[in-house]
Amino acid sequence: MKALTANRLSDGEVVFWKNGVWVERLTDAEIFADDAGAGEAEVAARAQPTVVIDPYLIDLVDSAGFWAPVSYRERIRALGPTNHELHGKQAEGGGAVEALRQAHGAARSSGRVNLIRRK
Amino acid sequence: MPKLIRASGAAFRDEEDAFVTIEDDAPDPGGDIIVSLARYLAGSESLVARPSGRLGVRLEPEDEVETLEGRLSGVDLVALAFPKFRDGRPFTAARLLRTRLGFSGEIRAVGDVLRDQAGFMVRCGFDAFVPADGSTAAIWAEAAGRHSHVYQRAADARAPAFVERQGE
Amino acid sequence: MYRYDAIDRAVLADRTAEFRDQVRRRLAGELTEDQFKPLRLMNGLYLQLHAYMLRVAVPYGSLSPVQMRALADIARRFDRGYGHFTTRTNIQFNWVKLADAPDILDALAAVDLHAIQTSGNCIRNVTADPYAGAAADELEDPRVWCEAIRQWSSLHPEFSFLPRKFKIAVTASPHDRTAAKVHDIGLLLRRGRDGETGFEVIVGGGMGRTPYVGPTIRAYLPSNRLFSYLEAILRVYNRHGRRDNAYKARIKILVAALGAEAFAREVEAEWEKIGPEGDVPAAEIERIRDAFTTPDFSSDPSTGDFEARRAAEPAFARFVRNNVKAHIRPGYGIVDISLKGIGETPGDISADQMDLVADLAERFGQGDIRSTHEQNLVLPHVRLEHVYDVWKGLHAAGLATPNINLISDIIACPGLDYCALANARAICVAQDIARRFEAPDRAEAIGEFKIKISGCINACGHHHVGHIGILGVDKKGEEFYQLTLGGSGAEDAAVGKMLGPALPIDRVTDAVEAIVDAYLRERREGERFLDTLRRTGDAPFKEAVYAEAH
Repeated sequence: MKALTANRLSDGEVVFWKNGVWVERLTDAEIFADDAGAGEAEVAARAQPTVVIDPYLIDLVDSAGFWAPVSYRERIRALGPTNHELHGKQAEGGGAVEALRQAHGAARSSGRVNLIRRK
Repeated sequence: MPKLIRASGAAFRDEEDAFVTIEDDAPDPGGDIIVSLARYLAGSESLVARPSGRLGVRLEPEDEVETLEGRLSGVDLVALAFPKFRDGRPFTAARLLRTRLGFSGEIRAVGDVLRDQAGFMVRCGFDAFVPADGSTAAIWAEAAGRHSHVYQRAADARAPAFVERQGE
Repeated sequence: MYRYDAIDRAVLADRTAEFRDQVRRRLAGELTEDQFKPLRLMNGLYLQLHAYMLRVAVPYGSLSPVQMRALADIARRFDRGYGHFTTRTNIQFNWVKLADAPDILDALAAVDLHAIQTSGNCIRNVTADPYAGAAADELEDPRVWCEAIRQWSSLHPEFSFLPRKFKIAVTASPHDRTAAKVHDIGLLLRRGRDGETGFEVIVGGGMGRTPYVGPTIRAYLPSNRLFSYLEAILRVYNRHGRRDNAYKARIKILVAALGAEAFAREVEAEWEKIGPEGDVPAAEIERIRDAFTTPDFSSDPSTGDFEARRAAEPAFARFVRNNVKAHIRPGYGIVDISLKGIGETPGDISADQMDLVADLAERFGQGDIRSTHEQNLVLPHVRLEHVYDVWKGLHAAGLATPNINLISDIIACPGLDYCALANARAICVAQDIARRFEAPDRAEAIGEFKIKISGCINACGHHHVGHIGILGVDKKGEEFYQLTLGGSGAEDAAVGKMLGPALPIDRVTDAVEAIVDAYLRERREGERFLDTLRRTGDAPFKEAVYAEAH
């Protein structure tokens, strides 16, 4: 399963694609079961250069009934920095946040699907 | 014809560009032409001896501007190419052309040329620009005039701050 | 403090106005991200994992109380009430919005601060000895040269699109507190044979993927020829530095590829063509020197009840032992402020703490605050009779941890918690190690010990020059850590050697403890860890870490 994420241009906030708009919580994000839908969303997202920067797909894994990113990096993006529990989205607490914290899984730490080599 | 912006002093003008860049193996169509450095070095005598039309030489960033030393009479224009706008080498090439080689013809920025570099380019001795971002002379005039003081010498005549301060 | 004149202020105002317009155009879609990114980087604005990060320049690590309070204010208004001091003595705000960046820059400019060239492929903040002006072993104040270089390099039309970033450090003491030898250019102030001042010029030091201790390119450069020589170096680099591979684009690669001697010849040839026309007149250097505020020192050498307090209060004595250094003037001391509270994020400081430091500097510190490349702060000029009051003030604010240069004084980059480039976290590793060695007696018994942690090969945590360096790597999606031993960023600069296979995150602190225990077993009288290591080689430490079964 995949989700589409980016950073919002105006404030850098981590956001997730949901049916053509951008939400701030991974639990609200659209989950793609197939590559076609995911690819279409990515194309549509790239056509929003004044809304988001650099949208990309991430792999997800089931964690206690919630979808969590496979990689540490994306978990940290979805949660917030691990040295400040009150900073970032994790400050909300709740089941979704806990599930993200407890999630296991192994992947490349960038967690990007079809990782594009950065210059 | 591609759009050209020409700077003279603080004034910027939109112009039509009369120059045509010709490939190394293409015949000379006459008129104002720009040839590669390689072609110029190989046949500078005949190129300079053309009965009419102006002559330009185009340098890529890896070309050494010193190869033109002593071979600039008859050259009206040097075009310095920016394959990517972040390539800083043409800034050095322009400055050396203008100051060290004493070139008084047109130094033109071509390629990935963006308005936000106007100030730096003018200071390095560029006086003509073929922008890649659709910008106009008015925009370039504004961008180039954004900084009321400069801290260092370059290829232009602007007095650096330390000279201004001596006058106080 | 260098006092800005009208021209300096105009330069800031023009740049912030220009950036405001560039932001407007980006938000309006008139600039693509690709076009905008170098422009925002040249103004210190990164996009990190959670938000934009603004890196504010602290030129040569110097801040006034007014400036520190302004930073606190910005932290409150535009961020989450704190800032982070970096290994290049700058301060970062982790949670800013692009739309606010122009207002933040205006607020900075109002107190003569800026974010010009704190990122991007241009000449970055010039760093200096944090004890400049106070150190007994200093030849002359290096900050004058740093300010002159700052001006010369700001918005330099020829050198704003270098192959890669460019970092310069200036030191004026035999004891190098700037890591000058691992900079792109290190300038070591020297006395010439004729009694004049000049520089030993080191080029091509650096860390990252391929660390180098920079070779000396010129043993002695008269100080009045500095700027023509810098121009020569930068021009050679701008023309010949690699642009095909970002990991091979620093000047250190060029110097290594050509060899130091051939590189030096290139520079000298270019330098000769530039000639003295490229130099900054001595009158301007003098003007800059005069524009630095001179502290209002008292010649009274008395120290009030400093000694009595020291004798009576062990906690204060410990603070003095570790955090107060000798000052060139009798009656004064250099006070180090640790931003490495046990369990805290290294280098972080809250807005309230910033205000407190500003107050102490104003009341007791000649209005002079410094930031160090080890992510701490300094009050360089405190009368010893006032150190107790300073300590009490720091203590109340949680800024009095007596661990300067000790094992819990750890350098750590923001790492995977914040940085888009990171492979692993660095902050939690630092916190865990600090907690393990929290007992002050134990830390003091261990002595000078520099642990430096980077979350990726870009080495912003300077791990290559740590006595123990810790590099976070990604092994199959898990956080692993590569240990190195024997690095040093001081005048005995050296790149650390890999100790063995990378360790998982939960074994790192034990490994550090095993190394420390091995050191304590092996050491002879008066040996710091580095000394013991250099004598024994890394065999005892390798064995201590890897022979242990888990």
